[in-house]
Amino acid sequence: MSDFSGMEDLLQDFLQEAHDLLSDVDNKLVDLEKTPDDKGLLNDIFRGFHTVKGGAGFLNATELVTLCHLTENLFDRLRNGELELTAELMDVIMDATKGVREMFGELGQGVQPQPAAAHVIAALQGALSGEAPAPVAAAVVEPPPAPSASADTSAAAGEPDWASLQAAITGEPVKPAAEGVVITRAETAAAKQAAAAPVAAAAKDGAPSPFGRRASDRPAATASSSRRAEERGRENTIRVDTSRLDQVLNLSGEIGLTKNRLTSLRADILAGKSDPETLHALDQAVSQLDLLVSDLQNSVMKTRMQPIGRLFQKYPRIARDLARQLGKDVELVLAGEETEVDKTMIEDLADPLIHLIRNAVDHGVEMPDERAAAGKPAKSLVRLEARQEGDHIVLIIADDGKGMSAERIRAKAVDKGLISEEEANTLDERQSLNLIFLPGFSTKTQISDVSGRGVGMDVVKTNIQKLNGSVEIRSEPGKGSVFLISLPLTLAILPVLLVLLGDQPFALPLSLVREILPIDQQRVQEVGGKETLVVRGEVLPVISLAKLLGWPRDRAPEYGVFMQTAERSFILGVDSFAGRDDAVIKSLEDFRPKGVAGVTTLSNGQIVLILDMKELLTDYSQHNDGGLAIRNFEFS
Amino acid sequence: MAADPKTRFLVVDDFSTMRRIVRNLLKELGFTNVDEAEDGAIALQKLQNGGFEFVVTDWNMPNMDGLTLLQTIRATPTLKHLPVLMITAEAKKENIIAAAQAGASGYIVKPFTAGTLSEKLNKIFEKYGQA
Repeated sequence: MSDFSGMEDLLQDFLQEAHDLLSDVDNKLVDLEKTPDDKGLLNDIFRGFHTVKGGAGFLNATELVTLCHLTENLFDRLRNGELELTAELMDVIMDATKGVREMFGELGQGVQPQPAAAHVIAALQGALSGEAPAPVAAAVVEPPPAPSASADTSAAAGEPDWASLQAAITGEPVKPAAEGVVITRAETAAAKQAAAAPVAAAAKDGAPSPFGRRASDRPAATASSSRRAEERGRENTIRVDTSRLDQVLNLSGEIGLTKNRLTSLRADILAGKSDPETLHALDQAVSQLDLLVSDLQNSVMKTRMQPIGRLFQKYPRIARDLARQLGKDVELVLAGEETEVDKTMIEDLADPLIHLIRNAVDHGVEMPDERAAAGKPAKSLVRLEARQEGDHIVLIIADDGKGMSAERIRAKAVDKGLISEEEANTLDERQSLNLIFLPGFSTKTQISDVSGRGVGMDVVKTNIQKLNGSVEIRSEPGKGSVFLISLPLTLAILPVLLVLLGDQPFALPLSLVREILPIDQQRVQEVGGKETLVVRGEVLPVISLAKLLGWPRDRAPEYGVFMQTAERSFILGVDSFAGRDDAVIKSLEDFRPKGVAGVTTLSNGQIVLILDMKELLTDYSQHNDGGLAIRNFEFS
Repeated sequence: MAADPKTRFLVVDDFSTMRRIVRNLLKELGFTNVDEAEDGAIALQKLQNGGFEFVVTDWNMPNMDGLTLLQTIRATPTLKHLPVLMITAEAKKENIIAAAQAGASGYIVKPFTAGTLSEKLNKIFEKYGQA
């Protein structure tokens, strides 16, 4: 299947590194638009394409080599001041970059990339040629003019002794038959390939028009291949700082030593030794093990942590392209790129963040004339920020656009039949804003082609909740909107609240728990045949955990856990509490009862089920006809 | 002369994939004593600490490029005897001339195979063996 058998490792390495390089190039391109004469930037971008080209050569990815080569030459001319960076040229460059990215996608599936779109190649060549033909071809075929770069020290004639110099370092004499550079077969082939690949490709096909057939093939091929690229997108390798790995190694060594100590102590104790000294040693060894194991857990967790900047760096380009398309002037400002987040989480955050950024640029930010009318600066700022707050990661996407009107959102939701008029009237500001997370909600009547790959705001919320996170919206009409995403540091350890039914403990994800309160049966009211409780003016349904689980119970729950999931707030009735714990989740892969997220083990060895509230509640609403009662409070 | 498999190499390239490629090719040829540097400046530091017998360097790198590295090596009394093989993506005449004038021991154009690399290395070993 793969065009790269035997080279998979190399390919993986290349793609990972080249992706980073290209993202860096993308950001530099955005900077370059602001300062088109920055030599340093031009140089860096030139080197980016040059490096990718070099690597691609070893993978025999000739089409990628060709595209990079042309782009690189363009930058060579730009940095030498032979070409001027115009807006049109910038578009050509952006297209070329996009082409390179698409080729990475194809390589990612183990197939050799298709040639770049004909118009991109043509545009690059057009920009390059002006009057001269492809520059490499010139270097290879024509006898070049005396190279000004190599100041000749010895020869007064100016032209160095080319034959002897070349023989000296390439190890081969110059064949008189060939005018220019003849080095080795591989090298000449590479140069030819680079210079004339499009033509060569056409010649192979025997097609009279260099691009005709392939160009028509391309759309279909790209569409299907980029979809496959997405499916395969998840990387299964990770780059870890060696010092972090050393720490893991070091700690596991220490644990080994402590284990040896314990083994020998066990032998002593089994042999009847129980003097204070032995017991003290045992105490010490166990405490040490305790410390080492938690250190090891931390260190292992750290190996999975990656700076979120790797994700962020893709976004300025996306924001720029979108803004240009919409005729807006938007700058995406990044902050906190060094914040470290679990790798899995970074991957799962990619799509929700893209959507929120697109949303900010598309819906949040106004058109330039509207901004002018509102007395705002023409350029709008969208801020993407990450930071760690305690044991949480907070992501902020803020725009300085027109903000959201709670009134309009409510009206829209009623209009779309998502909620009733009465429901709408009971919603406060925050609840109204949250309506945009409902499936089927979209503030623009017309779905623009930019708002994303069919991903709605509801999917954003669902994805973030899958990561045990939450999203919050704040908005001030006229000033802008802020989306606040809060995420746990890691997915491996879940803080839970342990509740009791009789003497059976259950674990609830602490992220859903708002507060704990006693249930005074006197204050429980029946609304529509369902038990409810008023907490600080909010009417909340009381759902007994026993009932949810289908346990027969005669006594009423004594305590309530005020919980908030995506769609609803409610009070979960329980008998008592057993405390909180950091659960290490063991998933029940083959055997997973509905409503159970996994299990964890308590310090006394007891196994506890971790409940999946969302699933339990879906079940509950379906089977108990309780759907109505819960639905009424869905947006609380 | 037969090349000593214990020859200590320094591979200089800012692209880690490329360093790995070169390292693997060297390994294929039996050279396993290889260290890496990310650019000319780092390479120079490592070289000055001593112990290296062969430098394989990329041309285009940030901080200090391969040509400057080569020139610096040739201008440093303790290092100037080191064989330096230049790797570049260009087969341009002016590049080759510049490398030769700066005192490169060899010049190889990407992409290349273990065979090509071996050929270049042997030529250089021969030359240094004679010297």
